[in-house]
Amino acid sequence: MPSRRPFWRMLMMSGLFMAGALVLAACSADRPMSTLDTQGSHAQNILDLLVPIFWAAVAVFVVVEGILLYTIFRFRARKTEEIPAQFHGNTTIEILWTIAPALIVLVIAVLTFRTQAINSRIPDDAMRIVAVGQQWWFSFDYPEQGVTTANEMYVPVGRDVTIQLDGKDVIHNFWIPKLAGKTYMIPGNTNYLTFRANSEGIYRGQCAEFCGEAHALMKFRVVAVQPEVFDQWIAAHKTIPAPPSSAPYQAEAQSGPRIQYVPEMPVLPTTDFSGGNAENGLSVFNGNKGLCYTCHAIAGNEKAIGKAGPNLSYFGDRTTLAAGLLPNDAEHLYAWLYDPGTIKPGNLMAGVIMPGTLTDQEIKDLIAYLDGQKTNIPLPAER
Amino acid sequence: MATVERPLQRPVSVPKVVAEPTGWLSWLSTVDHKRIGIIYLVSAFVFFVIGGIEALLMRLQLATPNGTVLSPDVYNQLMTMHGTTMVFLAVMPLNVGLGNYIVPLMIGARDMAFPRLNALSIWLFILGGLMLYSSFMLGGAPNAGWFAYAPLTEKGPTQSPTHGMDYWILGLTLTGVASIAGGINFIVTILNMRAPGMKLNRMPLFVWATLVTSFIIIFAFPSLTVAQVFLLFDRNFGTRFFLADQGGDPMLWLHLFWFFGHPEVYILILPVFGLISEVLPTFSRKPIFGYAFIAYSSVAIGFLGFLVWAHHMFGTGLGPIVDAFFSGASMLIAIPTGVKIFNWIGTLYGGSLQLKSAMYFALGFIAMFVIGGISGITLASPPVDLQQTDTYYVVAHFHYVLFGGSIFGLFAGAFYWFPKMTGRMLNERLGKIQFWILLVAFNVTFGPMHELGTQGMPRRIYTYQPGMGWDFWNMVETIASFGIAIAVAIFMWNVIVSLRSGQRATNDPWDAATLEWSTASPPPVYNFAKIPRVHSRRPLWDSKYPDMEVSHAQGTRPMKRKEVAALDTEDQDQALFDPSTIHLPSSTFGPLWVALAITIVFYGILYLTDTGYLSVIAIVAGLGVFAFGVTTWLRSADRDNAGAH
Repeated sequence: MPSRRPFWRMLMMSGLFMAGALVLAACSADRPMSTLDTQGSHAQNILDLLVPIFWAAVAVFVVVEGILLYTIFRFRARKTEEIPAQFHGNTTIEILWTIAPALIVLVIAVLTFRTQAINSRIPDDAMRIVAVGQQWWFSFDYPEQGVTTANEMYVPVGRDVTIQLDGKDVIHNFWIPKLAGKTYMIPGNTNYLTFRANSEGIYRGQCAEFCGEAHALMKFRVVAVQPEVFDQWIAAHKTIPAPPSSAPYQAEAQSGPRIQYVPEMPVLPTTDFSGGNAENGLSVFNGNKGLCYTCHAIAGNEKAIGKAGPNLSYFGDRTTLAAGLLPNDAEHLYAWLYDPGTIKPGNLMAGVIMPGTLTDQEIKDLIAYLDGQKTNIPLPAER
Repeated sequence: MATVERPLQRPVSVPKVVAEPTGWLSWLSTVDHKRIGIIYLVSAFVFFVIGGIEALLMRLQLATPNGTVLSPDVYNQLMTMHGTTMVFLAVMPLNVGLGNYIVPLMIGARDMAFPRLNALSIWLFILGGLMLYSSFMLGGAPNAGWFAYAPLTEKGPTQSPTHGMDYWILGLTLTGVASIAGGINFIVTILNMRAPGMKLNRMPLFVWATLVTSFIIIFAFPSLTVAQVFLLFDRNFGTRFFLADQGGDPMLWLHLFWFFGHPEVYILILPVFGLISEVLPTFSRKPIFGYAFIAYSSVAIGFLGFLVWAHHMFGTGLGPIVDAFFSGASMLIAIPTGVKIFNWIGTLYGGSLQLKSAMYFALGFIAMFVIGGISGITLASPPVDLQQTDTYYVVAHFHYVLFGGSIFGLFAGAFYWFPKMTGRMLNERLGKIQFWILLVAFNVTFGPMHELGTQGMPRRIYTYQPGMGWDFWNMVETIASFGIAIAVAIFMWNVIVSLRSGQRATNDPWDAATLEWSTASPPPVYNFAKIPRVHSRRPLWDSKYPDMEVSHAQGTRPMKRKEVAALDTEDQDQALFDPSTIHLPSSTFGPLWVALAITIVFYGILYLTDTGYLSVIAIVAGLGVFAFGVTTWLRSADRDNAGAH
């Protein structure tokens, strides 16, 4: 018979395992989705609740598994084949060990209700943003300021923000792990989520409810900036972008390690992404080959008022494209305009744009047009 | 019809002699609860292996960032089928199969109350499973998750355009009918067919658990079936129950589904609680600690299980008051569950622990279920849940409950009852090797998922980017998941080897206390030549150790002298008894025909909007088969009734 020693060791290990995992989790500079590295009020309140529950859980774990192991060790069958005392129960003990867990959950419940009350409050002076989830991207509307954008939401640091969450086609789930917990975006049911970013940074967001083929690739960013920068951003985005220039577009040189962001990237016909003409890009955008204008809107472009796809005003300001999926640089934008279906299977744009739909020059012109709309507002660091 | 020509119980033939039917056809026509139990167990195990293979494929895809093993659509199909298979086609029918085999034996009955309905259940279950799996070859499996949230499951180009969801709806409706019929069958059997003297509070705890589970099934499943029929009509016949832009509401699906979905968790785990409550006392050689509490807490869990469904919906914006109610109820349910664990440890305490494989798995069950229970506390707290829900933390949590809990427990049950079912013992050495491999592999597969969820890895994603801090543990989990596969393979090898050359089992190899061990291994078709008399909670134990000092708890107090005397007189009447005169229901193909007929009709409904009159022909033909099946069924019942006197 294998001894009980390995059993003991195994359980110790699995216990250590979980504890170690949580220790590891504490240092999370390179963990962009960590729920423990909280930078927003909503997430912070949750973490403050989790910590006491966690220690209570550790205590219960140690006590119960400890008693279990002790009992197994102590009462394993000896060689003497004697039938043990046949007792059926002990009412006092049973009542006591019913009360003990009841008290623990009572404390947890009270703490829980308190955090619930705090986190569900909507202050009167909170800034309102309307977020709509749709397959597979997010639109962001600032009704008080009259600004619309997509996939990148700017918020001022230190101010309460209430996000009105709506779903357009199927159920999505709005989640910025470092700032706030999840809230569903359900068609026909409006939800609200209030949080305050405590420090500036670019935060990761992701749809957390399964929403179809490209669910895994439905992401967004939250850019938390100082209030005065936020005001600049709003002011800049309320103006119409400058008309496209005719100067040839110069792609920025690639720097840093090349990271693959999706399982499959299309093989591009070129490695040079410069040389586009923004003026021509505008006519490609409004042309009937790519049909960009039917789905996308750009402020100042009177033809482009489509709403099926993300609003592309000031696209040059975005740090990412394709709903937080790829960094917004010339190479990735080229790849996206060349073959979106390979990058993000199932997406609507792949029904129109396939390899060959747009010529090499047309793609470059589009890059020049889209990337040319910039406000050059300084960006905080990724967190 | 003015006169009844043929009274039901007219003696038309001499009672048939009870003989074991032979040949493979006899398995298709059997109404014997033991054979049906075995068909349940074998087919559910096959589905368990298929579901496991699906899981391994998903693990391969997730081993590295940007995995390219599976396309997103295939991944989503496997994800949906893995969940659906494990819940509806593996763990649930494994529980039902064990119950089918063991419950009548435990209560001293000769069969289930409705043997032919029992046969209908097994065939509906198998055909439902096959129908669901036929979708892989007929246009694509369902791919919107086992929870099937509308409106993603509605028909639409980016929703669920294939027939996959229709297969999911209709296949599961078949298994749902099987479950409800089975639930009613268990309830009637347990309430009416207990051996004389077996009062409710003398029933073995596995029987208690099965009774409570059966009530949960008949109250929870209708909610799922209603939701599925709504969805079927939305998809095919133009209703709009879940379409928000046309006046419907996706929240309706969420409520209907989880009103079923949470009780379903208890359907999966309560029978295993009962099973553990049988295994632990046997291998501790002492009675269960706090019988009454374990029995009644199952009832409490069954009841409270219907009041906690919205803890799956804390993120949906029900509001803080509603959330607080469901949070409180969820925490409340932790108390009876937690106390059960103390009772089990109390059972071990002071015992003489026989560390056989069955006991290893039972102890592993307690250790793992405790972890699953503890990790559930944070999910019952709405604010914390908002961070953890829909992440791998939840995946870790419910695998500790359903794998570390249900599957470990079911392995304990397999080692415990295999000798009774087959007459041979499973190999202990292989069993212990399997246990250690499973314990380690299980923990290394699912333990790190707590960490991944805490680091923000969402569930149900077919790929992830590098640089998220998720790479290492995902690779570790994938490697470890193959350890689970090895452990399951060892079990299959053990079963095959032991069936051929395992040590012969005596009637009572574990020195157990309940009635199933008082008959032969395997039991004769009539179970008990003589219906046993029950005087306590441990009838077999008491007959083996009559002189032992037993401190009788309430309810186990010996019967009054008058009662015993009356029973003894009856026993004397049975002394001249000949087993060949025992009247048992005869085998019939009726239930199989009925199940086939319903399946044909369902295929017809599934393609009604595509193929028009072909489907109508299928439906009409199916109804014809149905009429034939019902006739066969009734004739068989009629014959049996006629021969009964």
